[in-house]
Amino acid sequence: MVYEFKLPDIGEGVAEAEIIKWMVKEGEKVREDQPLVEVMTDKVNVQIPSPRTGTVSRIAVKEGETAKVGDTIMVIADDGASTPSPASTATTAERAQAPALAPSPATAQAQPQGLASATPATRKLARELGVEITTVVGTGPGGRVTDEDVRAAVSRTAAATQKPTGLPPGRPSTPGKEELVPIHGVRKTIADRMIRSKHTAAHVTHVDEVDVSELVLLREALKSTGEKRGVRLTYLPFIIKAVILALKEYPYVNSSIDEQGANIVLKKYYNIGIATDTEQGLVVPVVKDADRKDVFELAREIEQLAGKARSGQLSLDDVRGSTFTITNVGAIGGIFSTPIINLPEAAILGVHKITRRPVVREDKIEIHDMTYLSLSFDHRILDGAYAARFTSRVIEILQDSKKLLAEVL
Amino acid sequence: MLECDVAVVGGGTGGYVCAIRAAQLGLKVILVEKDRLGGECLNYGCIPSKSLITISKLYEKTRDAEKFGLKVSGVSIDYDELQRWKAGVVTKLVSGVESLLKGNHVAVVPGQATIAERNRLVVTTGSGKEEIAAKNIVIATGTHPIQIPGVEFDGSVVISSREALELRGAPGDFLIIGGGAIGLEFACMYQKLGSRITIVELMEQLLPGGDPEVVRVVQRKLEERGAKVYLKSKVSSVSKGGTKATVEIETPQGRVSVGADKVLLSVGRAPRVEDLNLSGLGVGTDQRGYVVTDKRMMTSVSGIYAIGDVRGPPLLAHKASKEGIVAAECIAGLPSAADWTVIPETIFTDPEVASAGLTADRAAQAGFQAKSVRFPFAALGRALTAGETEGFVKVVYLPDSGSVLGVQIVGSEASNMISEVALAIEMGATIEDIAQTIHPHPTFPEALMEAAESAAGRPIHQLRL
Repeated sequence: MVYEFKLPDIGEGVAEAEIIKWMVKEGEKVREDQPLVEVMTDKVNVQIPSPRTGTVSRIAVKEGETAKVGDTIMVIADDGASTPSPASTATTAERAQAPALAPSPATAQAQPQGLASATPATRKLARELGVEITTVVGTGPGGRVTDEDVRAAVSRTAAATQKPTGLPPGRPSTPGKEELVPIHGVRKTIADRMIRSKHTAAHVTHVDEVDVSELVLLREALKSTGEKRGVRLTYLPFIIKAVILALKEYPYVNSSIDEQGANIVLKKYYNIGIATDTEQGLVVPVVKDADRKDVFELAREIEQLAGKARSGQLSLDDVRGSTFTITNVGAIGGIFSTPIINLPEAAILGVHKITRRPVVREDKIEIHDMTYLSLSFDHRILDGAYAARFTSRVIEILQDSKKLLAEVL
Repeated sequence: MLECDVAVVGGGTGGYVCAIRAAQLGLKVILVEKDRLGGECLNYGCIPSKSLITISKLYEKTRDAEKFGLKVSGVSIDYDELQRWKAGVVTKLVSGVESLLKGNHVAVVPGQATIAERNRLVVTTGSGKEEIAAKNIVIATGTHPIQIPGVEFDGSVVISSREALELRGAPGDFLIIGGGAIGLEFACMYQKLGSRITIVELMEQLLPGGDPEVVRVVQRKLEERGAKVYLKSKVSSVSKGGTKATVEIETPQGRVSVGADKVLLSVGRAPRVEDLNLSGLGVGTDQRGYVVTDKRMMTSVSGIYAIGDVRGPPLLAHKASKEGIVAAECIAGLPSAADWTVIPETIFTDPEVASAGLTADRAAQAGFQAKSVRFPFAALGRALTAGETEGFVKVVYLPDSGSVLGVQIVGSEASNMISEVALAIEMGATIEDIAQTIHPHPTFPEALMEAAESAAGRPIHQLRL
């Protein structure tokens, strides 16, 4: 039995689409829901999964060509007996519609037959919200898709379809002048996490300046000790120490909202995520129990984690369990940034370039080592005053070298 | 001409459930049934057979009661009374279905339906023809037993499961062709009622597709009670002389000739689609004639749906009714779909067999690096107190994640234990989840927890091998 696969109605009034990329060849076997083809409309790029299991007997529309909704774009021959015979265009369109709306199903972990992708109630929710659950990456136990994952997928879909048409499409309109880079791997994870964070947490960013003149001297004083111990002492371990002192006084900054959204979980341990730039993209290795380590130990561990991050050798354990994250863009430049919270944490601290600039001290203009701190926090958990007090406390500690010295060693 | 939103053809467990759900969703529903509401399950399958199986078990228990210190004498069966009671159970359930349909305002048209057009049915009733204009049609006509060359049903000596439920006494020599679920349920039942059983199975094991270790327990019990089992064998002819038959069997060891008072032919079933005009409508079917649908139960023709046995195996009432609900909801525009992970199965042999998910063999075929553990009922308090120590629970799982892929149970309460397994698999439970859940003592389901503990490497009531 053969099945003519017609270009489904992708929605949003799209009447035609350009075939960007066939993910299968003629003669190849395909499974139901396996990504078949990537098409581009004037609104969005989508991958269309196979509605059938079988063998590709013919590809009717070549890459780069345009097909109208309802045009046969490929023919699939049934291998087995249990797959449906030619369906009416109505069913095809309906079947393909939901998956088509979910962007990039290629990287979703397809749950093998025999294992549930989600609980029955979650699967029902996905159907009700029009999410093809096999395209959703699960964050639940064993990679299962949770209600929250399904809802996040809906937000993503909404974000994708609301993309203004004026933006450059993902496919070069003038080949040679633009290049197509598929979103997958680390990039895909970053994309998913960031949009999920933005859609989940109520982001507010609080910015303040800090006089690090004393810190500069302190680090300078300890640098040689570090060298003797074989570590390069940066400012980051000091900032971690100051942050942890403040976290202990402001426990809600070191917290998260539980899965049910019913409780705030105050964490009595201090695992600090360090946003790290790598060739593949951003990763966040975690310094565990940072409160029990001195600045040298912290420096060594950060160095090791960064090395592993750059060589792609981080284990799952290295990137899990952070309670608060610090992102340092100072080495690159800028005045200050508004970081995105690393869910499910309550806040993230951006630390920036230290510059010598004039400040007013007792009505005199002096030159001090100054930098900005930006704290992005989840307003669901923290109020502005609390977050500001926390930040002020971090600043106070960083400006008090005696206190800091007692704390860092 | 009658008009409706949904016409359901067939009032079995798939069809009547579909009709009720559709009506609940505000659709105007007509149900066409040519025989009896409740279909195969209520009238000729699950319900009457379980009635008889229960009594056959009780009969055997009573005769063996002396070993428990229970003195019973003069136990005998009044088959007329037994049949009356069984018929009463069936009637009660069928009238329950009738009143449910009525209460939900589903119109029932008795007769044989043909789908004349995509939206039009012609029903041949006792008094003529009735036309129904239906926006949607649900095919729920089920299956019927098939025959094999040289062996044809005659209703008296060569019988199907229907007649086997109506016998007024246990046949002396009862030969059963086909060692699947139906054949074995009758084998166990009539064996307890006193028949000498012979089973002929074409494949290399009884209950083909089942876990071999499970099947071995059932076969051993049958053989202990005196059954003769021919595997990889087929019946070449049945010659009838009066009320008896001589059955020629081709076995791997050569030809065998067996005398039988009754021959039950239970070699499989085929879809009941002959009168529906499927090819005229362009409704797609597979090689075996089963109607093909998508996950929303829609056939290749828009507006025509199919549910239950007519869609193909597994032929199970509970699958049919769930599919009926899916079809009704899809027709009503709800985003329903058949997306379950497992369809649990129960076989009322002695001991019972129940299964959900993958067997160890199937898991390996599917490419899983699965492991399996067993917990025997002989080590379980409740099984000992019930005098039912045969069998075991076997859990197939992934050692890395602990995910449960399947569970097979052979034992006296297997049918009552499998629902927990189905829920576990649908919820994505791991062996640790099952092991950490307190199971009440003393009960049969404790065996599942014990097996899970074994899988987790810390069995309490089983010595580590």
